[in-house]
Amino acid sequence: MLVLSRKVGEVVTIGNSIEITVISYDRGVVRLGINAPKSIAVHRKEIYDKIAETNKESSNVEFDMLKDLLKNTAISSIGSEKNKLEHLAIHNTKKD
Amino acid sequence: MEKQEVTILKIKTLHFGEIEIENDKIFHFPDGLLGFEKFNNFVLINHEETEPLRWLISIDDPTIGFPLINPWMVDIKYNPGKNIDLETEAAFVVITLGNKERVMTANMKAPLVLGVETREGRQIVMSSDKYSTKQPVIHTTSEEV
Repeated sequence: MLVLSRKVGEVVTIGNSIEITVISYDRGVVRLGINAPKSIAVHRKEIYDKIAETNKESSNVEFDMLKDLLKNTAISSIGSEKNKLEHLAIHNTKKD
Repeated sequence: MEKQEVTILKIKTLHFGEIEIENDKIFHFPDGLLGFEKFNNFVLINHEETEPLRWLISIDDPTIGFPLINPWMVDIKYNPGKNIDLETEAAFVVITLGNKERVMTANMKAPLVLGVETREGRQIVMSSDKYSTKQPVIHTTSEEV
């Protein structure tokens, strides 16, 4: 890992298009200002970790429990027309 | 030149047995999903026992699949802003089940965006704090309806 020391107000650049400015330092909290192109997503790492964890949980969902829950769940279809992709899913019927 | 002809791929899924997929039904996720960066090709499945959910099944490893829901069925006011172009793209959110309470939750913070024509997909993370990674999918039992 590259480690750099910077004072408040100083800047680090990454590539040609990303700039990170140290805005302030106070009681162990560093505030950073980040300039990056819109195509580059910038988020706190905890958010990424949480989403990766949620994805893992989703991939391990207990199928039978989900089926049971759906039987007792009335999900309104109001609003569903906002999505255009419904017809692009492959339909699969139950096989016994 | 790419061939125009449709080829059929067979995958053996965890929950739905063997499924035949036409190659033009495949979605390519260049960056995968968060935590699943190496899984790049998926197919969307609509299984009758789990309507109205959809399943995003990995072609690279068909034992990997994610139950999805149309986010507007969870929150009719869902607003992903400029992250999605609803003229050409569709959105789904990832479903998980609560550990203790028997409730479905949806990750409204990180929707999957699928290009209808491009067949490309990506998982985006919304900057807004308005949306939760575990938004309950409000449900009523049939007795209460």
